[in-house]
Amino acid sequence: MSRNLNLPLSPAIRAGEFIFVSGMVAIDPATGERMHGTVAAETRQILAAIAQVLESAGSSLPNAVKVNVLIYSMLEYSNMNEVYREFFPVDPPARTVCGARLSGGSKVEIDCVALA
Amino acid sequence: MSLRPSRTVIEPRNPKLNVSRNANLPHSPGIRVGDYIFLSGMGPVDPETGGRNLGPIAEQIRHTLINMAHMLESAGSRLDRIVKITIVLADIADYGEMNRVWKEFFPVDPPARTTCALQLSNGNGVEIECIALGGANVADGG
Repeated sequence: MSRNLNLPLSPAIRAGEFIFVSGMVAIDPATGERMHGTVAAETRQILAAIAQVLESAGSSLPNAVKVNVLIYSMLEYSNMNEVYREFFPVDPPARTVCGARLSGGSKVEIDCVALA
Repeated sequence: MSLRPSRTVIEPRNPKLNVSRNANLPHSPGIRVGDYIFLSGMGPVDPETGGRNLGPIAEQIRHTLINMAHMLESAGSRLDRIVKITIVLADIADYGEMNRVWKEFFPVDPPARTTCALQLSNGNGVEIECIALGGANVADGG
């Protein structure tokens, strides 16, 4: 996404035992454009994309250690959680969730640190 | 290929502070990986009732940092082994007050820190998360 949108960031950086994944917003894999949907739909898209990034680097979602979730309104907290929990059924990572104003009309943005 | 370090869930000794389990939320209180401990964002939870303690902001910050100390000590670490801490306030006007409380808890070599104001859950005035060093045996000063 950063390359396609010409943004000055890398999708993820591996350093020693850790992989640091940039904040990701929902992207339509067919077009490469931002996908605008419900908080649930955007959360699902992002976590699937993070899983891909981690797998490309030899890691996986169960190796996530710390996740940060930003949502446009904390009133959507439980809508995000219902999808989120599907992706982390056992021993989920440490996490912080806050409400924030996000770029480009996205409703959700998620970053993470994972074990390489 | 190097072996992946183990990834273990940190549990507070006081079960009232296991907010995610008590509220059935999909996160762990903290994760230890190798030398590092990553704690989830913590709010001002009353350690006796498990409920929220939404008093004046200075009290909320003290409660949260005391709970954070408990969480770190449950994992064999301590407040003074925090490397990086992120403090999110509901109102950036509380920045000065927060710094006054901060000096009570981190008088020497305080951790790297980021502060900002964002929307928080449960009416919290503050939420704090950290990355800390684990340490083999801090009980005897390690």
